[in-house]
Amino acid sequence: MRNPLTALALLVLAIIVVLYVAQPLFTVDPTEQALVLRFGQPVRDVIDAPGLYAKWPFVDTVVFIDKRILALDNERQEVLVADNQRLEVDAFVRYHIVDPLKFYQSVFNIQGANAQLGGMLNSALRRTLSEASISDIVRTKRDALMADIRDQVKSGALRFGLDVVDVRIKRADLPEENSEAVFRRMQTERQQRAASYRAQGSQQSQEIKAEADRKVTVTIATAQQQSEQIRGEGDGERNRIFAEAYGADPEFFAFYRSMQAYDTGFKGDTRAVLSPKSDFFRYFSTPTPTPAPADAPATK
Amino acid sequence: MSWNNQGGGGPWSPKGQGPWGQGPSGGLPPNDLEDAIRRLQQGLRGLIPGGGGGFIGAGALAAIVLVLVLGWLALGTFYTVQPNELGLNLVFGRYTGRTQPGLNTNWPWPVGSVRLVPVAEQQITEVGYRGDARGADTLAESQMLTGDQNIVTVHFRVAWQIDPAHPEDYEFNVLNPRDTVKAVAESIMREVVGLKTIDGILTSDRKSIEPDVQARMQKVLDDYRVGVLVKQVQLQSVDAPAQVISAYRDVTAAQQDQQRAVNDAETYANRVGPAAAAAAARILAEAKAYREQTILEAKGQTARYDQIYAQYKKAPGVTRERMYLETMERVLGGMSKTILDSGGGAAAAVPYIALDPLQSKSTGAVK
Repeated sequence: MRNPLTALALLVLAIIVVLYVAQPLFTVDPTEQALVLRFGQPVRDVIDAPGLYAKWPFVDTVVFIDKRILALDNERQEVLVADNQRLEVDAFVRYHIVDPLKFYQSVFNIQGANAQLGGMLNSALRRTLSEASISDIVRTKRDALMADIRDQVKSGALRFGLDVVDVRIKRADLPEENSEAVFRRMQTERQQRAASYRAQGSQQSQEIKAEADRKVTVTIATAQQQSEQIRGEGDGERNRIFAEAYGADPEFFAFYRSMQAYDTGFKGDTRAVLSPKSDFFRYFSTPTPTPAPADAPATK
Repeated sequence: MSWNNQGGGGPWSPKGQGPWGQGPSGGLPPNDLEDAIRRLQQGLRGLIPGGGGGFIGAGALAAIVLVLVLGWLALGTFYTVQPNELGLNLVFGRYTGRTQPGLNTNWPWPVGSVRLVPVAEQQITEVGYRGDARGADTLAESQMLTGDQNIVTVHFRVAWQIDPAHPEDYEFNVLNPRDTVKAVAESIMREVVGLKTIDGILTSDRKSIEPDVQARMQKVLDDYRVGVLVKQVQLQSVDAPAQVISAYRDVTAAQQDQQRAVNDAETYANRVGPAAAAAAARILAEAKAYREQTILEAKGQTARYDQIYAQYKKAPGVTRERMYLETMERVLGGMSKTILDSGGGAAAAVPYIALDPLQSKSTGAVK
């Protein structure tokens, strides 16, 4: 009874010790690839498929190397671009390790790779951007410049076993002093524009008012012109009517009209000095008329 | 290189390897492992001395092993996937398939493991500001150069989720997917803003920025195979920088001033125009009235004349005499008179009594 149990316990213990201390078996995760080294020398091809693998205990060591896309975010730095302008640029690199052995031998780990890539990225940035203007970088050639930098870094990174997936300029901004200048320019631009809007407003206002005043003047003048014409028509018609009526007997008209004129002409405080010899006084001194010359009464 | 197991055939054998996926140059296949265990057991059996004790020992051993194995399976096999998650099953590090929400199984540790990926959860990446502290504007992130080399402050957020069709990409392909989304978002937003002018960005181009950034981000992230779906890019605010914002607001105010000046002028025009029309109408009406009045008066006078003339024609001499006398009567009756005989001198003038005795001042002798 005791012997088999003891044997079993020993067996289990042995298995545990072997598995946990010597690790003859190891698994490779989907995010990893692995190198198996015997005294520093690779003993088999790179393991790039995930799964369960075995190695000789104590003799072999396994180095796990990340298979995912890795990031290098560059520090912001000032770059001299065309026309002696300066830009603050930061960029990032996305890469993965495609040749773990080369990677392990040349840069050893991700920190080493990032240091190498960072140096390459900086020099590629400076070299490429030095000939580009700010407008190229910001607006017109951003894609082409990024592709150019990517190709430079990509070819440089191959000897470290790295494949560069992408290099992108994240920020490309003006340094603080230049920003201040831009702000001042923006401010004056806006002030000009505001002033121009206000001036346009006042100009348009004057134009509209002047046009309105002109219309008023023309309207009144036109009306007055028509008015004179209409009044003239009235006067003309009046003359025609009179001429028609009075034309038949001008002598009687002269008499009749004179009578009317006397009637209305001597209203008020009028003093008349009359001669008794006038026709009016024909019968004044005698009932027998003597035809007298009609002396018109003199008025004063 | 996606281990897509939905397809059915040979889920564990992407490269036509054995089900346990030994490497091309010889991982230890589990089948061999089982053989080894069987051989070990036979060896043990051989070690133990034969006889009844041996049988009892073997039975106990089998029972213990069975209990251990059952316990191992019972403790580790089952796991729950929440409704917003997908599970990714790994067996010895090899991705073997995804599992849907609910109760699922996989080999227990250390053989199997499960990665739970929250695919249905909406993730938010904020750029240029932090939602939990609105005041904290992160200038380095938010200020960017426009195509016409002005500076604009942009706050935006990206809503994204793990692509339910490719959760394994999100889980296995990229070291830090969340940071990658943010870095790409910043880079793309600057690229897009760099293509436009500040006036466009602050006004009409604003709407086109969001879908443009979204499409470009999706393309770059797809190139990286991050396994992320960009659901929406939302501009929280797009402004001129704080240093110049008052000048920008003044431009808006100036535009309103302009509009107001124009409106005022138009109000004036609308007021004086009709007033002038009214005045013109009045002038015309007055003129017409004058015309009618003049004509009617003339007609009236001529009508009267015609009547008198008709009578005059019948007896011209008498009528003329009568009209003369009547007129003189009216005329002389209304005035003070001095009658002088033209034969005498001025000094010998004899005052005559006025013709109308009722006139009070008729007796005045003058000069």
